[in-house]
Amino acid sequence: MISVQEFLLRTRVEHQSLEAWIHAGWLIPPQTEPELSFSDVDLARAQLIRDLRDDLGVNDEGISVILHLIDQVHGLRRSMEALLNELRGNREDGD
Amino acid sequence: MSDDPYAILGVKREATQDEIRSAYRALAKKLHPDLNPGDKKAEEKFKEVSVAYDLLGDPEKRARFDRGEIDASGAERPRERYYRDFHTAGAQDHPYSTAGGFADFMENEDILSEILGRGEGRARFRIRGQDVHYRLPVEFLEAVNGATKRITMPDGATLDVVIPPGTNDHQILRLREKGGLGIGGAPPGDALVEIEVGPHKLFTRKDDDIHIELPISLPEAVLGGKLDVPTLAGSVRMTVPKGANTGRVLRLKGKGVPRRDGTRGDEYVTLKVVLPDRLDPEIEEFARRWQAGQQHNPRRGLEA
Repeated sequence: MISVQEFLLRTRVEHQSLEAWIHAGWLIPPQTEPELSFSDVDLARAQLIRDLRDDLGVNDEGISVILHLIDQVHGLRRSMEALLNELRGNREDGD
Repeated sequence: MSDDPYAILGVKREATQDEIRSAYRALAKKLHPDLNPGDKKAEEKFKEVSVAYDLLGDPEKRARFDRGEIDASGAERPRERYYRDFHTAGAQDHPYSTAGGFADFMENEDILSEILGRGEGRARFRIRGQDVHYRLPVEFLEAVNGATKRITMPDGATLDVVIPPGTNDHQILRLREKGGLGIGGAPPGDALVEIEVGPHKLFTRKDDDIHIELPISLPEAVLGGKLDVPTLAGSVRMTVPKGANTGRVLRLKGKGVPRRDGTRGDEYVTLKVVLPDRLDPEIEEFARRWQAGQQHNPRRGLEA
């Protein structure tokens, strides 16, 4: 688990932004009590959001859309992979 | 591949900071690893572009580079892990995982939903539980008439097995979803209970029919009469014809084993003439005097 202080340091994000991102639902910290803490996934996602905002010039509305689409792409990639593995496994069984 | 940061970003040496910035943005939009989850090369290219922009995006560093004070191999900012790295095979589900991109494929209970089905934060695959096999000895009449038996499973739980009337020896009863637990929210396997039917001291069974051997006395065999015969449903009065011999088979219709369609098999009664344990002089005397009996040869046609 990553504390808020460490999280801000490692992502190079301002506290205010972090709060706004959580409020927007872009980040879903796994723990809020007794104190806010984050996982490695949250960290990587925050860095992505930061890249989108700072480096790619995407505005807030754009970030929401992009995150949503990226998450769907990942879901599709994983299911595609699962399907392919299943197919490969079946083919090996048949040999 | 060029080491020249200007070439990497595709800008002229006299480009303005704004031009450099928009050149970088245009490249980053194409190359950012999280926007190219399936492209391994994107990360390498993106790294190059990032290093170049690190240098040229900062007017102070750019001026020093232009003056030759620092070279292009500026320290690259180590990136921990990209968001895409948390979505690889075998990665755990997290709150951002979604099946939204393919939920419409999974509406039916088919192979796809078995492969793709995912619970919240649970195993990626849904695997139906294993079938579990049991043997259950039951008494002859329990199998014929139906019964409910309780078996204790290895985990200590009990399972009531309803044995339908007319159950056969070695018949396997399938109890849906009473087997091993499924994985990832998949249903449990089935319990397969093999029934072992014990013997009965009077009845034997062939399919749906009951067979019984009925001892009868000599006078009953000679004269015939109404006799009580045991059946599955208690005694039944049966007419034995005159002169009924050992081996004669009589049928009691509908006195056999219940079938699924509500009908029943038959009971076959095989007669067996039994002499008294001790013969009295009267019958010996009769046998000696009985002329027709002396001439009767039951072994005719038995010569080899």
